[in-house]
Amino acid sequence: MAEHTVTFTTADGKTATVHAQTGLLLAEAAQNAGIDIGQPCGGQGRCGRCAVQVTAGNVRRRSTLRLSSEALELGYALACQSVVEGDVSIFVPEQEKIERKLTTDRVAAEVSIPAGYDFNWSQTIRRYNVRLNEPSMDDQTDDWSRLQTILRQQHKLESVTCSLQLLRRLGAILRDAKWQVGVVGNLRDKNMLEIIDVLPEMVDEDEPLYAAAIDIGTTTVSFWLVDLMTGKVVSQVAEYNGQISRGEDVISRIIYSSKGTGRDELQKRVTDTINALCATACKRVKSRPAEVIKATIAGNSTMIHLLLGIPAASIRYSPFITACNHPPITTARELGLNFSPDALIDCLPGVASYVGSDITAGVLSSRIDSAEDVTLFIDVGTNGEIVLGNQDWLVTCACSAGPAFEGAGVVHGMRATNGAIEEVWINGDTYEPTTRVIGNSKPKGICGSGLISLIAEMFLTGVLDKAGNVNLTIPTNRVREGEHGGEYVLSWASESETGQDITITRVDVDNLLRAKAAIYAGFSVLAEQVGMTLADVQQMYIGGSFGKYINVEKAVQIGLLPDMPWEKFNFLGNTSIKGAYYTLLNADERERIKDIANRMTYIELSADNTFYDAFTSALFLPHTDMAKFPTVQSAFANQSS
Amino acid sequence: MPVEIPKDKWTGKVRTVTLGATAAEGGTRTKSIVVGGDTTMPFMQFEAPTAHTPVIAIEIKSRKPDDWSSLLEETWGSVMSDPAAWAKAAEAAGADMIVLWLSLEDTADDAMRAVKSVLAATGLPLAVYGPGQVDKDNELLVAVSESANGEKLLLGICEDKNYRTIAATSMANGHLITARTAMDVNLAKQLNILISDMGLPLDRVIMDPTTGALGYGMEYGYSVMERLRLAALQGDAMTQLPMMVTPGFETWKTKESKVGVGVPEAWGDWKERAIHWETLTATALLESGASIVVLRHPESLKRVRTAITELMTA
Repeated sequence: MAEHTVTFTTADGKTATVHAQTGLLLAEAAQNAGIDIGQPCGGQGRCGRCAVQVTAGNVRRRSTLRLSSEALELGYALACQSVVEGDVSIFVPEQEKIERKLTTDRVAAEVSIPAGYDFNWSQTIRRYNVRLNEPSMDDQTDDWSRLQTILRQQHKLESVTCSLQLLRRLGAILRDAKWQVGVVGNLRDKNMLEIIDVLPEMVDEDEPLYAAAIDIGTTTVSFWLVDLMTGKVVSQVAEYNGQISRGEDVISRIIYSSKGTGRDELQKRVTDTINALCATACKRVKSRPAEVIKATIAGNSTMIHLLLGIPAASIRYSPFITACNHPPITTARELGLNFSPDALIDCLPGVASYVGSDITAGVLSSRIDSAEDVTLFIDVGTNGEIVLGNQDWLVTCACSAGPAFEGAGVVHGMRATNGAIEEVWINGDTYEPTTRVIGNSKPKGICGSGLISLIAEMFLTGVLDKAGNVNLTIPTNRVREGEHGGEYVLSWASESETGQDITITRVDVDNLLRAKAAIYAGFSVLAEQVGMTLADVQQMYIGGSFGKYINVEKAVQIGLLPDMPWEKFNFLGNTSIKGAYYTLLNADERERIKDIANRMTYIELSADNTFYDAFTSALFLPHTDMAKFPTVQSAFANQSS
Repeated sequence: MPVEIPKDKWTGKVRTVTLGATAAEGGTRTKSIVVGGDTTMPFMQFEAPTAHTPVIAIEIKSRKPDDWSSLLEETWGSVMSDPAAWAKAAEAAGADMIVLWLSLEDTADDAMRAVKSVLAATGLPLAVYGPGQVDKDNELLVAVSESANGEKLLLGICEDKNYRTIAATSMANGHLITARTAMDVNLAKQLNILISDMGLPLDRVIMDPTTGALGYGMEYGYSVMERLRLAALQGDAMTQLPMMVTPGFETWKTKESKVGVGVPEAWGDWKERAIHWETLTATALLESGASIVVLRHPESLKRVRTAITELMTA
């Protein structure tokens, strides 16, 4: 096959040249050249955000679905859909930067240590100081037996094991430490110790012993560094999941992981993210990642599969089966994490393909499994997972709400970062909007909470009808016929950062309505499955960072959340990492989450028509059955009168 | 031993809707039609007599259709090129009502002229439907609505993406509208809510929940209609509207009705088969709660009429 020269030039003037065979994807060629081109849709050609410009030569474009005719004329091509067929020069436009504004940056609330935490009682992790006898011509016992013997003599540990990797280092450690070492291990049973690490010195009782609780979200990875001796969370950090540029939702990621070396790449991207977080967290307490001896990890099933490098393809296809819901404990070394090499990595158990350990951990930390009241728990992320139940029973389902509330699939949607409109008020007489923008800057787009607020305001002021149609007959130039049907102008080009009108279109509204309908339908079907209605729900828990910033009143007005008294809503923040933290601290909690995973009955929504019926019924503002939303009904009546 | 037949008791009632205005009512129709008013499932005469006999409408076009079965051309003949003559023939064939479909080629003047000629040719209540393209529908129907002010025409078709203009003009000119949704209880209800939010009283709305021909999804439409009626009887105000369906349109596009040659012999006589198809579909839909069925063939009309008569007296 013919070999060609591909030259990449980036916006900041960097140039790289690689050789490529006919048929190689531009995205891969760029990767070979060390140039990063984001593929938010996982390389499916759907998002159009990997567009590059061909400045000399030509490429074969498999799909140009997302490119306008002007862009094509200017030589643009999608990197994930175009292949090399001759020598070619490519200009890579400036890549979208994810501006950081994570929840933990706003508030890193002190996490309280669970009452009664006692290292010796709660943990199976042990740390011993041992003084070994120096070997001599009279005592030629091998190093490893020497260590085993002393542990047996002093701590009644009949069986002591370690990894080959540790054995390779053991001799040097013992000699460097002059035979006085600390031993960190995990008690498998009363008398069985699995050594995790041998420390080159004896340690005081109050010296910290570090471990981590981690939540791998599709969008954000959160990391808590914990001192196991005291149980205290000593530092909290979070960062966008490094896999985002290879797919914004789980499905795109599964698709990406199923192609070529995608699985390895995604595995590396998430471990890189965790390693970087760990380094930052450790630095804050003057420690090193190599001192971290254990981690418990919660995440949706896809994230866990990708972390462990397990093929995730079956998650995507009916009958939607994971490779495993209860992953075995593994080691940092095996996953490429820079912790202590034999650090235990405990991925918590999930329930099903779309109800992972982020949810079991959420149930654990919010204590629904011991609640007397019937509780509805929802974790709104890219997917909406729902749990209904109490101490006696738990049912769960997942509805693919899609990333609309994270700003994806909406023309001027964006994440909740600087420049995002996060709240909107519309004047009912003039139809003029007032907005609040994150960072008090000029608006660039609209984030999830802004979208909820906007839809609610448009609905109550009659800009939208109950089906989400923009009413073009109202007397304002804010509404107009756009390329995709009716649209409403939220910010004029002159007021926006982008120099373009910030609008919400009919298509955007449809996407948002579908997202909210999926979630509400999930609620109603789950309740229906156990012979209840939403009116029987006694308290509502909302997990995830999403819940923190949305306005409950607005969310009820659009029919995303059930119409209940405000005091019944509880916003719990990241319940997933909290669950991981609890299981890290306490062996009983670890047993409990296993029990939760086994107890939760998973309802597959696609199994019959019930969900579809509930979905179309919720695909209306606020709902086809207005009687379910009495407060909205009266607000609407007041507004229209 | 005497057997007591259990009777269902319902709290809800389907709205009564009057189509067409007589001279006394400000129009020119020789008679008006009343549909709806049902208080039970269809034809459960032992629970409550059917309030108003279901109605048969005949579908005609403002211009001669070029995609209709030759069987239909055979039976209607030359009247198909003249909506007034066609309407008159339909009335002679026994239709209770005419549904006139305007065509994409019609200008507003053409549409008004066609409507006027049909109104002059028969005294039956009239439905006027646009060609099914949003802008064109709105343009033609507004013109027709204004020029036939007060006739209580049934204008359509309103759908969830395009209902405002038609509802508004019908509100202003004393007409009624057809609200069509795609075979779904919730969608039907939603469109009724949207229309009602505009201020058009629901006793001026007929809903068309869409149907399929026998063998082509009719059973799905059947169950949607049945559920709509059940919801109405249970007191859901937003579903208490009479239903109108178009078995003629649906069945005459099936292969069984359209194709006469190269089909298995066991299929039997082409014409007989096509008429059976239309008749059976229409009859089943009456059983599921339709108040108005729109047909194409005069022979089907005759047979469906017999069925209605028997069901009403059973």
